[in-house]
Amino acid sequence: MGLDVPGIFGTGSPTFLTTKVDFVVNWARRNSLWPMPFGTACCAIEMMASAASNYDLARFGMERMSFSPRQADVLICAGRVPYKLAPVLRRIWDQMMQPKWCISMGACASSGGVFDVYSMVQGIDTIVPVDVYIPGCPPRPEGLIYGLMMVQEKISGESLTRHAELRAEDPDAAGKPRAGDAQVRDLTGPFGNSTQQNRLSGLVETDATERPKDRLP
Amino acid sequence: MNKAGSNPFAMVDEGPKPSDATVFPEDAPEAASAPHPSVEALRDHFGDAIVAHEVCAGDQHVVYVDPARNVEILSWLKADPGQHYDHLADLTAVDYGGGRPIQVVYQLWSIPHKRALRVKAELPLSELEIESVAGLWRCADWLEREVADMFGVVFAGHPDPRRILMPENYAEGYPLRKDFPLRGRFSRAEQTRRALRQNPEDDYFPAEMGDREPQLVASVADDEDDESEEVNHGD
Repeated sequence: MGLDVPGIFGTGSPTFLTTKVDFVVNWARRNSLWPMPFGTACCAIEMMASAASNYDLARFGMERMSFSPRQADVLICAGRVPYKLAPVLRRIWDQMMQPKWCISMGACASSGGVFDVYSMVQGIDTIVPVDVYIPGCPPRPEGLIYGLMMVQEKISGESLTRHAELRAEDPDAAGKPRAGDAQVRDLTGPFGNSTQQNRLSGLVETDATERPKDRLP
Repeated sequence: MNKAGSNPFAMVDEGPKPSDATVFPEDAPEAASAPHPSVEALRDHFGDAIVAHEVCAGDQHVVYVDPARNVEILSWLKADPGQHYDHLADLTAVDYGGGRPIQVVYQLWSIPHKRALRVKAELPLSELEIESVAGLWRCADWLEREVADMFGVVFAGHPDPRRILMPENYAEGYPLRKDFPLRGRFSRAEQTRRALRQNPEDDYFPAEMGDREPQLVASVADDEDDESEEVNHGD
């Protein structure tokens, strides 16, 4: 006896749509990416422009800027981060729930930019893990949108079976530098920075934890 | 350019050299052409405490005073009806490097007389301490904190002598001094470690954090009391 229950394709037997769980989960995740805007400089102006009606990030699923890290999926660090702000950035990242992604927007967030000075973090990847780097000073809204679409692309390739590997987080690592000393050295090296030059000069003692004399002889 | 074999980065880290300019151009022609009324009055009142006088940028009169008597002189400049410098436009410091004294600069403006005066006090590097003027001009509060943070000048009697710009656990020295290396004294790794070790809330006074928690607890307790009273009334 045939079932006369109306299905979505008309009357007949119930219809099914089969797919992979991975596909559905990734589809849902990548199309509802709520950004946590961490804007500290002129890049934030471009980020605001991207969210405004002309570029309208909401088209891509960044429906609203989530000013609470607990409801955000992707951290957009837009602008330079001084060392005084580093623990704040780290805490916001630690407060975001999994799954979470991070975008480093602009030259300063990615490498310190022109601010190769005593007060500036030389790339936020020494503080938090970064998924996508957007070059530019500042990047245009198209750049940010392209970066977010790269995050979407990255999400499409994720698999729930690799959850433990992709989303692994050590609770003991909260609030600690993401990169070790050697890694910080490597990360900060190629950008015209800094530590190597100080070392070469021989005038500056590096890796010193003691407070040095304020005046050179 | 550098000599062959010499370290190319030495020049950068040595910092700028002291300039050859004279510090006190007493014989500047502008000084004679347009005398400043406050300068003579200061000389009459304080005599030896007025160390020097110069004119820069055409009409900017600079008076160097004895740092030990800065508050006395500045409060007279503020209170005297003939001077009445009631507006402290800026308070900063200058380090010319080369072991020269650090100058604390008071940029004054008299609103009624429409007159500007720059007062400087030179502090030798061995004793970087000067009386605070936050009692005279309230705006000196943060400006003095900034100078203390950037140059290491101690402002005696400051009402709130905390850091204002640098992190609480900063220990690399004073960034705006001429001998401070551009990239700081610690390695980037050490700087990163120290940055993450700090607690952002250290920068605040408990009073600034707001006594929200005690208030919240108190209000909750009040509400509970009210409810219990209501329940009692109901019974």
